[in-house]
Amino acid sequence: MADGKNLYETVIITTAKIGEEGNTELVDKFKALIAEHGTVQSVDDWGKRRFAYPIQKQNEGYYTLINFESTPDFTAELDRRYQITDGILRTIIVKRDPRHVNPKKAQKPQKAEESNIDVEAIAVEAVEAPAAETASAESAE
Amino acid sequence: MADRPEREVRRGGRKGRKKVCSFCVDRADYIDYKDIAKLRRFISERGKILPRRVTGTCAYHQRALTVAIKRARHLALLPYTSD
Repeated sequence: MADGKNLYETVIITTAKIGEEGNTELVDKFKALIAEHGTVQSVDDWGKRRFAYPIQKQNEGYYTLINFESTPDFTAELDRRYQITDGILRTIIVKRDPRHVNPKKAQKPQKAEESNIDVEAIAVEAVEAPAAETASAESAE
Repeated sequence: MADRPEREVRRGGRKGRKKVCSFCVDRADYIDYKDIAKLRRFISERGKILPRRVTGTCAYHQRALTVAIKRARHLALLPYTSD
């Protein structure tokens, strides 16, 4: 990535009004646009989701996550295209830190269990550390 | 130098165990705005971001968490307010 390219991820929310096909059509259009100016790395279709609050009086929409690599000036153009495209309710473009990209994915599946274990381990340590004190305190009682 | 009773000397106020930042425990270097299940634990019933004193999150991760929650709100993954 010495060529001045960065990693980005973008989430597109399209209105449920255009239906499943309309959504795929729109997403494909943007995939093509991104592919023109950079490389699409992965596409994650979340499907139809309910919103946490209504957007333009609508309660659900289609979510799509696209990971891509491009030069920084393309994101401005992408955002501009988002703004002028009908059927898009919300979008976000976030730069990904390459240091976080790979380890994050590797860790993800086991994260839930790992955190539980770690919390317990720390709790045990915390208990053990003042154990000597508590022992003497108990004998005093 | 075995016993240091520092822990017990906590002047005035309530005692309670020291909370550990859950992100430090995970050694998280990035808080994902898409991980709603995790973010939910850090917002109140009304949708407000919980303060550090409640959750025990460290300053570094609280800052990252705040950004993640705000991004999630923008995408309607989390509410700005509920009620």
